[in-house]
Amino acid sequence: MRAEAPAPARAVKGRRWEALLWLGPSLALIGGVVFYPAAALVRASLGRYSITGVYQGSVGADNYVRLLQQPALSTVLTNTAVWVAAVVAVTVVVSLALAQLLNQPFPGRALVRWALIVPWAASLIMTSKLFVWIYDYYFGALNRLLTSVGVLPRPVDWLGDDATVMGAMIAVGIFVSLPFTTYVVLAGLASIPGEVYEAARVDGASRWATYRRLTLPLLKPALLVAVVLNVIYVFNSFPIVWTLNDRNPGFAHDTMVTFMYKIAFKSALRDVGLAAALGVVNVLLILVAVLAYLRTVRWDDGEAAASGRA
Amino acid sequence: MKGVLAAVVLIAAFAVACDRGAGGGPGITVVIAEYSKDHTRGFWQALAEQYTKQGGPKVDLRIIDWNSIDQQVTTMIQNNQPPDVLNLNSFSSYARDGLLYPAEDVLSPNTREDFLEAFARGGQYQGKLYGLPILSSARAFFYNRDLFAKAGLEAPPKTWNDFVQYAKKLQALGGGVIGYAMPLGPEEAQAEWAIWMWNGGGDWKQADAWAINSDANVRTLTFLADLANRQRVTQVNPGKTNRTDGAFQLFKDGKVGMVIGFSPLAKQLDAEGKVKYGVAEMPTTLGKPTTLGVEDYLMAFKKKDNRDAVKKFLDLYYQPDNITKWITAEGFLPVTKSGLERMRPNAALTPYLDALPNARLAPTTDPAWDRVKLDVQQNIGAAVQPGGNPKGVLDQLQRNAVAAAGAR
Amino acid sequence: MRRAALTAAGWGLACVVLAPYAVMLLTALKPDAELRTTPPRLLPVLWRPENFLDVLSDPDFTSWLRVSLVVATASTAIVVLAAAPAAYYTARHRFVGRTAFLVVVLVTQMFSPTALVVGLYRQFFELDLVNTYAALILTNAAFNLAFAIWILRAFFASIPREIEEAAAVDGCGRAGALFRVVLPLSLPGLVTAVIFAFIAAWNEYIVALTLMTAPERKPLTVGITAYVTAYVQHWNHLFAASVLAIVPVVVLFALIERHLVGGLTAGSVK
Repeated sequence: MRAEAPAPARAVKGRRWEALLWLGPSLALIGGVVFYPAAALVRASLGRYSITGVYQGSVGADNYVRLLQQPALSTVLTNTAVWVAAVVAVTVVVSLALAQLLNQPFPGRALVRWALIVPWAASLIMTSKLFVWIYDYYFGALNRLLTSVGVLPRPVDWLGDDATVMGAMIAVGIFVSLPFTTYVVLAGLASIPGEVYEAARVDGASRWATYRRLTLPLLKPALLVAVVLNVIYVFNSFPIVWTLNDRNPGFAHDTMVTFMYKIAFKSALRDVGLAAALGVVNVLLILVAVLAYLRTVRWDDGEAAASGRA
Repeated sequence: MKGVLAAVVLIAAFAVACDRGAGGGPGITVVIAEYSKDHTRGFWQALAEQYTKQGGPKVDLRIIDWNSIDQQVTTMIQNNQPPDVLNLNSFSSYARDGLLYPAEDVLSPNTREDFLEAFARGGQYQGKLYGLPILSSARAFFYNRDLFAKAGLEAPPKTWNDFVQYAKKLQALGGGVIGYAMPLGPEEAQAEWAIWMWNGGGDWKQADAWAINSDANVRTLTFLADLANRQRVTQVNPGKTNRTDGAFQLFKDGKVGMVIGFSPLAKQLDAEGKVKYGVAEMPTTLGKPTTLGVEDYLMAFKKKDNRDAVKKFLDLYYQPDNITKWITAEGFLPVTKSGLERMRPNAALTPYLDALPNARLAPTTDPAWDRVKLDVQQNIGAAVQPGGNPKGVLDQLQRNAVAAAGAR
Repeated sequence: MRRAALTAAGWGLACVVLAPYAVMLLTALKPDAELRTTPPRLLPVLWRPENFLDVLSDPDFTSWLRVSLVVATASTAIVVLAAAPAAYYTARHRFVGRTAFLVVVLVTQMFSPTALVVGLYRQFFELDLVNTYAALILTNAAFNLAFAIWILRAFFASIPREIEEAAAVDGCGRAGALFRVVLPLSLPGLVTAVIFAFIAAWNEYIVALTLMTAPERKPLTVGITAYVTAYVQHWNHLFAASVLAIVPVVVLFALIERHLVGGLTAGSVK
């Protein structure tokens, strides 16, 4: 931790200008593109709208109150918690293993890496439509495969049967999140200097101990990025749940984001103000979750370790 | 490497700096739903060009798919930028909010008189015509002739008892054959439900008050639930099957004995030539079978100084040549008397054109219907799932309908 | 022995990951009549590679492809140009508002584009930028900024200051140290950021759907949905178009992927 001598006032001011220069473009982009719509969202959440979208005046916090009274809210919240937790946890764990694998040399490794990029390269909508096709009860490849191999006695309606829908969606969520997370971890692995492993081997540490005590902690920055961003993206993920859940009536398998969309455009509520309130609540939810995670992991100390290292 | 970087930055700068928006300046915005990739844009593009050539202002034509059109239109209106002309399947909420021109302001008297009576009535709000009929369709009872022959069935069923017997015999054929494909998923459940509801003797309303949970309706919905869960003559999870990618698709695959379809389905079946099908009237508990007629609408939004431009555009569309050309290409049915005359000779359309006089429309003139329709779409499927409660579902729908009617 | 196990695991992984897309590819090669047969068949009886030609010769498709390429490339460039300096500065210096900046950047990611799309439309309408490349490029850039800043920051932070100082003292100067030492060492992070930003922009749907209504401005994600609508379903063309849409991304990836393994070799600190 660098101790900084108290600097003269002019130097401090110079530092602030300097910061603005380096951060300027980013701030401009965010301020210009995100700030206005975010403000519009908050304003919309405080208003009442006709079913056609016509603004009918301000109603204060009324939309938020009505949101809390929605009977489907607890189901949707539970679905979302399960969805995010399952997808992120499994993705991170599997990605750690995959990154280890892809970090070792073996013939054809480059091709395997290219293969791994495909689920990420395909748009979520396309992959979702593909899985609707694969999960189909009558004509889907999955039922065909599992029944002909004998694992299933009878085809399963993966997307229609209440017991299997959530699992089917989570599987797709994990599938499309693996490439991105694996590559973040790979990038992290690549930045660990070889000398570190040399030293461990000389010391006689077992492979597992090396991994646990050396690799994982050094991967902390990468894992941090992976977990935080995955939580945000999975929480906000619209196409997978929307497409796979399309046939199901009611809100039984919706997450907060698809619930918000249905409130605005598809359900009998057709209430843009209520949906905007839910949009704001969504942001607050993720914010709380992420800040809690960051505090637990003590992200700020990560760099102190890095800059003080070797 | 540096060269690539420079090129990329140049592309970015170019794209950002030189691209200008198409907005501003005189012109009208026309939003049309995408009925098909092959025909919709072609026709409306040509119409827009004809319009501009005849002296009309520039047309900003937007063809939007059905899945997103509600979201897009709501977004436009929320931002105070409604289109000038809109094609949609509902209109009365827009009329109630005072957003539309009545027909007398934007249509010539000839055109107004040419509308078929039932469709003109279906576009009225508080006595004035706001929803201009653009096209229509009528549902009919489709059956697979080959499967019928295999099951030893001759004429299509006329009563509900016959219907159940037929369905059982078809289902018994085995090999994945489905007796009746019932789509009560959220896409268009209200259509399927409406047809059964009417033929079971019930209706959406009784004497201007909502009557969704009338005894007749409860009986009908229980009948449908039994088809799914006790007789087991439907496809799997009918409460979660949509029409187009579910029930119709299975019928096109030749796996389904009976389904309620409409003329675009017939067009696709003819094009594929795989399934030998027949079209008949609905099985019913009443004397005369009823079917569902659906009309989609064109609407003109009130904006400063756009009345003449819009009027010219609408008159152009409603010229018998234009309107008939498009409706025929998409496979739908006419909404004007002159159109009906021109399309009569088309033998493939005869069963639907015959059904038109007996076709009933949904209560689209009531703005509350916009909410009720969505409610039915989203929730009625639950009634036919295993363990579903038809009466409970209908009671809830009724409660919501009364609330929607009472609100503003 | 170990290499054999690794190879088997690696190839097994590739098969599992590609299996669904193999289904996509095989379906794309089927004629209309074979899309749904009883019993379902994986392989086409009649192979129809013409489906791909149908899609490629569709002028709509080439238009969508061009729009996607321009938008994705430009927004990726802007993301990197904006994120790199910001990430570097926040990694190297502590200043008032640093945490606030990083949190603000992160918070912008938390707004679901689905929720913001209405406001975005209104804003760009007022700026007369609806249906322009600029609108979509800037939006994509802004929404992908957080990832780029965070991962670049993690990389910059993990490069010991001593290396930079050594280079600066050696005669490069601060800027030289930045360009000749820091950036190359953080290449894995840069490459990850580039891939991520490109793919995110390439596959973005809902904002493109709302902002780009003119047919000549629609990107692939939006245009492709026209193949399967309520009334007509050309699954084979949809999948053929999807396969074609994946190609540019895989090409980009193949070109820059080896830099992912750059790393801190070549006698850095000691």
